[in-house]
Amino acid sequence: MTVATLANIAPDTHPAPEPISGARMVVEALGREGVTHIFGYPGGAIMPVYDALPGSSLTHILVRHEQGAALAADAYGRVTGRPGVCIATSGPGATNLVTGIANAFLDSVPMVAITGQVASPLIGTDAFQEVDIFGITLPIVKHSYIIRSVAEIPAVFAEAFALARSGRPGPVLIDLPKDMAVGTAAPAPIVLPEPEHAPIDLAALAAADALIAGAKAPLLYFGGGVGIARGERALRDFAARTGMPSVATLKGLGAIPTDDPHFLGMLGMHGLKGANLAVDEADLLICVGARFDDRATGKLDAFAPKARVIHIDGDPAEIGKLRRAEVGLSGDLSAILDAFQATPEIGGWARWCAEQKRRHAFDYDAPGGGIYAPAMLKALSEAAGDRAIFTCDVGQHQMWVAQHCRFIRPQAHLTSAGLGTMGYGLPAGIGALLAEPDATVITVSGDGSIMMNIQELATIRRYRLPLKVLLFDNSQLGMVRQWQELFFAENFSEIDLSDNPDFAEVAHSFGIEAFTIDHRSEVAGAIERLIRTPGPILCHARIDPRENVWPLVPPNTPNTQMMDKRW
Amino acid sequence: MTRIQIDFAVAEGAVLRIIGLVERRGFRVVGIVMDEAGPTAAMTLDIQPRDRSRRTEILLPQIRRIHGVTAVHTIPVPQASAA
Repeated sequence: MTVATLANIAPDTHPAPEPISGARMVVEALGREGVTHIFGYPGGAIMPVYDALPGSSLTHILVRHEQGAALAADAYGRVTGRPGVCIATSGPGATNLVTGIANAFLDSVPMVAITGQVASPLIGTDAFQEVDIFGITLPIVKHSYIIRSVAEIPAVFAEAFALARSGRPGPVLIDLPKDMAVGTAAPAPIVLPEPEHAPIDLAALAAADALIAGAKAPLLYFGGGVGIARGERALRDFAARTGMPSVATLKGLGAIPTDDPHFLGMLGMHGLKGANLAVDEADLLICVGARFDDRATGKLDAFAPKARVIHIDGDPAEIGKLRRAEVGLSGDLSAILDAFQATPEIGGWARWCAEQKRRHAFDYDAPGGGIYAPAMLKALSEAAGDRAIFTCDVGQHQMWVAQHCRFIRPQAHLTSAGLGTMGYGLPAGIGALLAEPDATVITVSGDGSIMMNIQELATIRRYRLPLKVLLFDNSQLGMVRQWQELFFAENFSEIDLSDNPDFAEVAHSFGIEAFTIDHRSEVAGAIERLIRTPGPILCHARIDPRENVWPLVPPNTPNTQMMDKRW
Repeated sequence: MTRIQIDFAVAEGAVLRIIGLVERRGFRVVGIVMDEAGPTAAMTLDIQPRDRSRRTEILLPQIRRIHGVTAVHTIPVPQASAA
């Protein structure tokens, strides 16, 4: 660990500064960290901080549910690479943040979550709105603090931000008892050591280079760690100079543009068949910023059975965790990728991979006149252009976005990959728009997911955020229905949502432009309206409830055994 | 049984953080000894994997990345304890 603990901070010899309140210290600390936006919801124990907000440099985004704050902060952190900040009061305010904190933890997103807490003397007495949020979040934070001294607030915040963004990023929680916020003190000095940069293991590098040089069928398998490390340039350079085919995880999409001729697509459960076949045939897998997640590998024992593995990751704890690596390299991904020199002779292998990609490409020529979601997403993605950011919820539409949209950077695809949080899409759209106001931000949702955080339409309206929402409505929990159809003998249980509200009317009631389509002939016009409308807009698209996501690898099955459908 | 020693900075939640991670990663904690000396502490844990897929060499780097942990290593278990 490269950041010192508070116990190691050296004493300062400068004169003590003037005492100020803890709440003021919080606001000033956020300013020092370059925070411009915070996402939150006020309440009793956090009120002193809200009292200090007016007149500060911070823009507070008032969400309508604390989960929305945490998820918006998550998206803000993904797009900017800087910690997103969310803030809530004690008790239910804090517990409502939990899903968003877990979401950031599972996807390694930099975040600082601030929670109010009852006053120190009341902690442990079951006081009103007291909950042990420090204890509740222990397994889902990179680190956490309870403020025990007003004077330490600036140092704790400095350390929290450094931790949240360093190494493998993640969420850090700061629990702030009310008496710490209202009390005054002279701030203690902030001293943080320079982060350490571990040198590249040259012996491992040479061993990896030798493996690459001797490989006949090498494959790049990259994940979200590339985007986290902002390592896209180095990855693309490596892929270009070796001519190596590549596959991506859900979170890796965009690190190499998805329309790159050597990119074979997403691998895994809903990956492209060509990508999964290439993994199966590869004799060398160069895993960059990925972690052999079960959704990517399918049955782990059968994953890449012929391949030796070079595993490169910013987090040394990931190397060898699930799949033994012949060579492991941890550290700066870009520096490692730039240091490789081998250029294997793989023309025949690359052509074979390209042929698999061509042979198993998606078919968009669906029969009938109903809206075919994959085709609509492909067309929307092409119309949205290079500045687009897609956020999505969780379910069938999430996989369709991953399969059919074009991404030229990882920050253009905001998806809840690790936790799979239904309700991520709308708050993520808010966070993305505030992080990158010039982007065309599109939230793709489903009729199940959107109801999880539909209250954030009010936030979108309040701040006049030009979010474009495409809502696919099959009046069912589509992914659950698909699994019940395929793996539970069509025993359809609790997936019917046919009593959904009229989503266009719901959006109207929030003051948001909206319209409904249900026929393929309306798709082109709907896309044009979505793109051209300057303010927030929602397109409610009714789709066939029987449509499934294809291809599909059944659970705990080798990735080569894909179920598919052709017309 | 495997015995591991963890050196770490004393901080609120540090003990829970370490033990919680060990349990979540698939190990039973069957013995604990801890010594605190000023700002640092050393904890010795006797652990047993819950199934054969759980490997100590995978666990140790997970513990090592906890903020405040300065060292983790396995130590020999005396014959009588191991039995």
